[in-house]
Amino acid sequence: MRKDLVFGMAGSGGDGIVSAGDSLLQAAAAEGYHGVMTKSFGSQIRGGESSCRVRISTTPILNPGGNLDVAVALNWDDFLKFGAELPVSGNTVVIYEAATKILEADIPLVGVTPLQVIAVPIAEMAKATAGTERAKNTVVLGLIAGWFGIGAVAVMKGIRKKLAKKGEELVDANQRAFDAGRAFAMEHPLKVSMNVAASATKGQVKLITDGNDMCAAAAIFAGCRFFGGYPITPSTEVMQFFTDHVWKYNGAVLQAEDEIAGIGAAVGASFAGTKAMTATSGPGLSLKSEMMGLASIAELPLVIVDVQRGGPSTGLPTKTEQSDLFAAAFSAHGDVIRPVLAPTSVADTFRITIEAFNIAEYYQTPVIVLSDQEIASRKETLDPIDTSQFKIINRVVPTGTDLVDYKRFKQTDNHISPISHPGMLGGTYLASGIEHVESGAPTNSGSVHQRMNDKRTKKFDPLKERKDLFEVTGNPDAPIAILAWGSVAGVCREALEMAQAEGINVKLMVPYLLYPVAEGIYNEFFRSVQRGLIVEQTHLAQTFKLLRMHIDLPKGVQSLARSGANPFLPTDIVEALHRLLSELQRSHEGQLQPQE
Amino acid sequence: MSATCEYQAKDYKSDLKPIWCPGCGDFSVVQGIYRALAAIGRPPHEIAFVSGIGCSSRIPGYTTAYGFNSVHGRSLPIAQGIKLANPDLLVLAAGGDGDGFSIGGGHIAHLIRRNMDITYIVMDNQIYGLTKGQLSPTSQKGRTTCTSRYGSLEEPVNPLLYVLAYGAGFVAQASPTDLAGMAATIEEAIRYPGFAFVNIQSPCVTYGEEAQQIKGLKAISENLTALGHNPADRLAAMDLAQHYGQKLHLGVFYRNPEPAPTYDGLVRERQALLSKDAPPAENILDLFIKK
Repeated sequence: MRKDLVFGMAGSGGDGIVSAGDSLLQAAAAEGYHGVMTKSFGSQIRGGESSCRVRISTTPILNPGGNLDVAVALNWDDFLKFGAELPVSGNTVVIYEAATKILEADIPLVGVTPLQVIAVPIAEMAKATAGTERAKNTVVLGLIAGWFGIGAVAVMKGIRKKLAKKGEELVDANQRAFDAGRAFAMEHPLKVSMNVAASATKGQVKLITDGNDMCAAAAIFAGCRFFGGYPITPSTEVMQFFTDHVWKYNGAVLQAEDEIAGIGAAVGASFAGTKAMTATSGPGLSLKSEMMGLASIAELPLVIVDVQRGGPSTGLPTKTEQSDLFAAAFSAHGDVIRPVLAPTSVADTFRITIEAFNIAEYYQTPVIVLSDQEIASRKETLDPIDTSQFKIINRVVPTGTDLVDYKRFKQTDNHISPISHPGMLGGTYLASGIEHVESGAPTNSGSVHQRMNDKRTKKFDPLKERKDLFEVTGNPDAPIAILAWGSVAGVCREALEMAQAEGINVKLMVPYLLYPVAEGIYNEFFRSVQRGLIVEQTHLAQTFKLLRMHIDLPKGVQSLARSGANPFLPTDIVEALHRLLSELQRSHEGQLQPQE
Repeated sequence: MSATCEYQAKDYKSDLKPIWCPGCGDFSVVQGIYRALAAIGRPPHEIAFVSGIGCSSRIPGYTTAYGFNSVHGRSLPIAQGIKLANPDLLVLAAGGDGDGFSIGGGHIAHLIRRNMDITYIVMDNQIYGLTKGQLSPTSQKGRTTCTSRYGSLEEPVNPLLYVLAYGAGFVAQASPTDLAGMAATIEEAIRYPGFAFVNIQSPCVTYGEEAQQIKGLKAISENLTALGHNPADRLAAMDLAQHYGQKLHLGVFYRNPEPAPTYDGLVRERQALLSKDAPPAENILDLFIKK
């Protein structure tokens, strides 16, 4: 019995491959499995190629997985367009549409001999049972249920619910297609059984959502009641969630005329005393940068979500990348710090988004949440989250004596000044993008500018001590280290487990706080390190460079960086670790053997 | 909401000393705003006054309201965020012709179509003053400035026709040539329940042309009421607005006799409707439960 299976499916836009993935994920959740689903598309509006990966496991899942265990190709042209996103290995069972008329021995996968290749007349079976080829995806789900033991009951239960309004006839047609797929699988058993073990948590409540919806829900949970934004792939669903729900909490959304107006309205709402947010992706981040500078100097709380995609410019709008790191850390002109946080999964998008609001409110600053296309659009099954453990921080407002001769930008011990808002008697002041004295009045004075820059940067000192915004796993004294953030972190978590199982003495740091760079925390982490890998999906090794700008990384720490849409597999990381290990062994002549 | 005590113009005047050149038309504009606000009587802390960048955009700081001297061209998006966050506030926006019709020119159309209850005052002087005398979007074609030594090659924007064409519910023009009339026009704009636009011909004494100084403006000014213009007649207003640049029509060009619902009002209605049976925000993750 397997504990874990990775499915990868591709077809044309109309084939319903993503909807099959959704059904599979939901069925797996209903049967108590953990699941992660990622989607990838061509950039066509309709049609074109589409694909999904679904990973199902009896234990919590760290990432969407490496090589496919099961590949489903409804046609080969579309499948091959996804390249490294759907990697087939010698352990993969390949299922494909027999109507492609390609012989099992001739499938167009270069340099790899799959474990087994099976041509299935999927379209023909759909037509014969449901009367339409549109049921192809249901046939595929039947095949999966038959061969891998997932969703035999739950898939059809889900489909039944989904199609209930469309009539019994359609449900029955789908049932026949599903049964046909399942029967085909039973009649053609796999050479090696690949059934997944039953889950121990069957029957427990599970949540399913993606990173964008989770981000928006977390924002509303954190008290955000205003969203200003502009549609841009792959962040738009954040705004969509707000337009569905925020009114219920007496909040509002403005779908603005452009990216600048979107963040501008959010700045205005924050000035008016409301927790506010905007969300965007690369090009939008560039456009919003002037407003981010304004919010920094006016010391207004604000959360900016940047769902990264391949850049520069339009780049790869539907693919993931981590190359907005520099743009986020140094997002506008002037001497200024804007905190940058990054979630690593759908689940921790909840915590990190709340943290972003707390930091924004406490420090009176714009905060950037660097999500990415993979996290934003991937669906995860989640165990229920105990939300009572999350503390919500609100900005400090002036009271009593603060309001006698109120000074909005008053120097205080922690450099944070109580902030009033329109409507508050005694709190009137001028907010501005121009340098200002404590009262808010404009100034040209160099000495005031120096003092105010001090105030606006020193206030972040405590943030750099926040160890809870860093995850360190593995042996704390290990000589070999991995560092990764965002969606790449999950791959490295699995790589760490694999390396540890091999006896490699290694540790992993996952920073959730990317900027300001917490020098002390990194220095402590790297103290034991002689060889290391900074793993990231950027072409320029931005993380590696950002760290080197602030700390003296040990000489043996190297960059493992590649452009977006070229996902890392856990095995890639382990391979690189082997290289580091042998380097280390050569340089130390056996002093530092791998430890158990 | 507002207390019942009476306010005077001086209650809206801050201690900040304006940076404007002696004789600048904006001194009159800020006086007009003080008077209009006193007539309306909202306490200063219930007013949010937003501007962009430029000489005239310094204006919120010269009032005792909550001011926001923001970035170039973006007063309107910020004002809209404020209004949606707290519709009870009286929200004013102001700036120059470059701020409103050049760098920020894309925003006004959308505010007009949303019809939020915001009053926008443009101090139009046909020049960039703060940067010392460049062409502005309302500069006459052929005008020579330091960025147009051989004369401007482009037609000016007509701010009045622009906002009328987009469907603004209240459109007026004023000038320091008639301070009392300006104060009354601003007051009427603020009282209008919806988006209101006031273009104020405010002379630049340093970079402005002779014809655009007070004397020149007086020579071409005509009061719309005296002309017998009916402010409910939008087409007549557009007809008159075509004379922008040649004549200075003062007063209300257009006032929608049946003001349309405001965006902020509709938002309130939606909030009231949808919040009635909403589950608490603490339980928002329940939306993701799959049975």
